[in-house]
Amino acid sequence: MGEDRPGWKGRGGWRRTAAGAALLLVAALAQAQSQPRGDLADLSLEELSNIEVTSVSGRAEKLSSAAASIFVISGEDIRRSGATSLPEALRLAPNLQVARVDSARYALSARGFNGTVANKLLVLIDGRTVYTPLFSGVFWDAQDLMLEDVERIEVISGPGATLWGANAVNGVINVITRPTQATQGAQVGGGGGNLERGSAFRHGGALGADGHFRVYGMYFDRENTERADGSAVRDGWHKGQVGFRADWGGAGRGFTLQGDAYAGTLDQSQPGKTSIDGINLLGRWNQRLAGGSDLRLQAYWDRTEREIPGTFGEVLDIFDVEFQHGITPAAAHRVLWGGGYRHGRDRVRNSAALAFLPADKDLDWANVFVQDQIALGATLELTAGLKLESNDYTGWEHLPSLRLAWKPAADKLLWTALSRAVRAPSRLDRELFAPGSPPFTQLAGGPNFRSEISKVFEIGYRAQLSDALSYSITGFYHDHDHLRSLEPAPGGGFALGNLMEGTTQGIEAWGSYQMARSWRLSGGAVFLDQDLKRKPDSLDPTGPSALGNDPEYQWMLRSSHNLAPRQELDIMLRRVGGLPQPSVPAYLAVDLRYGWRARRDLEVSLTVQNLSDSSHPESGAAPARSELARGAFLKLRWTP
Amino acid sequence: MNLRALVLALACLLAPASAAAQGDARAAEVRIKAAFLYKFCDFVEWPTAAFAAPGDAFTVGVVGADALADELAAVVAQRSVHGRPVVVRKLMQGAPLAGLHLLFVGGRDGGRLPEALAAAKGRPTLTVTEAEDGGDPGSVINFVLVADKVRFDVALPPAEAGGLKISARLLAVARKVVAGSS
Repeated sequence: MGEDRPGWKGRGGWRRTAAGAALLLVAALAQAQSQPRGDLADLSLEELSNIEVTSVSGRAEKLSSAAASIFVISGEDIRRSGATSLPEALRLAPNLQVARVDSARYALSARGFNGTVANKLLVLIDGRTVYTPLFSGVFWDAQDLMLEDVERIEVISGPGATLWGANAVNGVINVITRPTQATQGAQVGGGGGNLERGSAFRHGGALGADGHFRVYGMYFDRENTERADGSAVRDGWHKGQVGFRADWGGAGRGFTLQGDAYAGTLDQSQPGKTSIDGINLLGRWNQRLAGGSDLRLQAYWDRTEREIPGTFGEVLDIFDVEFQHGITPAAAHRVLWGGGYRHGRDRVRNSAALAFLPADKDLDWANVFVQDQIALGATLELTAGLKLESNDYTGWEHLPSLRLAWKPAADKLLWTALSRAVRAPSRLDRELFAPGSPPFTQLAGGPNFRSEISKVFEIGYRAQLSDALSYSITGFYHDHDHLRSLEPAPGGGFALGNLMEGTTQGIEAWGSYQMARSWRLSGGAVFLDQDLKRKPDSLDPTGPSALGNDPEYQWMLRSSHNLAPRQELDIMLRRVGGLPQPSVPAYLAVDLRYGWRARRDLEVSLTVQNLSDSSHPESGAAPARSELARGAFLKLRWTP
Repeated sequence: MNLRALVLALACLLAPASAAAQGDARAAEVRIKAAFLYKFCDFVEWPTAAFAAPGDAFTVGVVGADALADELAAVVAQRSVHGRPVVVRKLMQGAPLAGLHLLFVGGRDGGRLPEALAAAKGRPTLTVTEAEDGGDPGSVINFVLVADKVRFDVALPPAEAGGLKISARLLAVARKVVAGSS
């Protein structure tokens, strides 16, 4: 099925993206071989151009049998959703919980623990880790890209720590953009509606004998949200971003250079405006060595700046270098090993309200990992892996995993996995003080904060029942220990500690059914049961509700219908259960997109979000929280 | 088991696997090319004169690629091209080409290309080949394998000679485009 192309990316910067290549292959190969004919013919020219046809190593095959709960959002899915930002596009993954907090902020997680400072999800864009060591989460307003250039987004719920490292506790999001070969020529798009306006352009061309490039630029502005009583929340914002990517070489040897820069301004309730700026540059080199092993090397620099007048300011530089080597030492073994080093240079401007102490901090992380995929016969495969990762706060952490996949037939896979994942302390866990100067009557850091540990058991099954019908179902059980709690500090006030524990269990399922050649239905659901509690010696005043605010269930249903050769109608229903604390009512959102290819080179589309209600909240406490209003967006896309 | 026996045993284990993998890859390539052939039709305009009557079928001829012809026939079974039903014919070398809207000539050697394509020259027939990269196959579209992916080059002069109009979108995806007179 279109979105459930199995693929498993390697971890880490280029591991991830390096693995990108392998992954792509896997996914593409799996797709080419196991998809019904209709699906191939329904792909776009660009997508067809990107399918690899040769199985160069067994690894790819293995990846297609990834023993994990993985959902893939295709670029085509994104286009047909009408999404205008990365977090909106992520709503397409049934295994993610996406709650829009206001105009710019999102709470986004998998398997619970959701909030604006959700900290158990690892997010990568083309191999670049975009979570901030400030709180181990993602500033979603800072992370965006031209969605037209996204090839696929792999969403893995569950731990991916052995390959991806600490922080990949509850999930990994892997955004992979198209190779520049696939984005040649120009594209101009723009649109507007009652809630936002935006435009973007991209141009791609050749670069020497075996290279290609693209450059892009985008700009948008988004309106304030409003509260339930109709009053405006001061959260409108606008942002501009430019970037480029260049690729040289082919399968045996390749080099990629890419970068982005952005600047945005956000309204805020206090006087002044929040500004966000960033720039990043990434280089990645891969080479097939004699003997058939694959070597990949990636390095990047990523600067993010955030200035929140009256509260906080930060300039963060991340330098990251990683390598990965894939070898086949014996017939039944495929080994992937590698290592990485990461340096963070964080400069914080504190305020009267809060302080990170010390304000300036240099952080270092190092890791080595090895993973062996062992064929135990024709249909059985065991993957054993271990990563060792060090951080400044707790030293070396070990992240092992064991995965077993049984593939009785090409279109059936039963898998199970045991993992130990770790969320290492972030600056927030150790060094946040409030107020901004002594005495710290509210919060006095977390001098003894240690890593949170999750031991995870998963079991899953996925199958392609026919050319038209496929599905995936996963059961999971997470046993968490040393979760963050707030404990009385010796000198008065509170400090962060680790006296919360508990379990999270649930079921994730999704499937896709091709009703007719021109009509596909897909859907998914998550049922989540959390049992989190204070340990007996904890004096936490809030309790487990501080750890996250999660629905017990959510489901979605999508219909993608080609009404006529040049007309598309997409409808998405999303039902999200109520959130307990603070209470947010359950809601049903209906989104609709009508697309019309008016000419060969011109696409017109109208997207309506929240067709079913005039507005609803998705996060936060009433009455101050934002409600998400019904929105309409008319878009033109010209591909001359 | 001594080393030699072990190596031999491994070789025996591996050989069928790699052969199967190659077979799979070739099958995938055929499927992708068949899908491409179908997709191409959306991005090419044929002159009205190419069809004798409004309801006439869209006719595809395939020379020297039976597996691809079968695959394409399966792809178009439930589909139409420009609102017309599609007929796929396996053709022998030298068979008459009148009435064909798309002609695919299989094989990488290029030996039979000149003859097959000469007969299509000047006709409103979209000619597609999979000739060795680097030469001039004489067709409108030529498939090439680049980094294990199926890509294609487009030559506009033969398209213009046949009165075919190729959309810019198709050209945007092409690896190389040989420009025409206009």
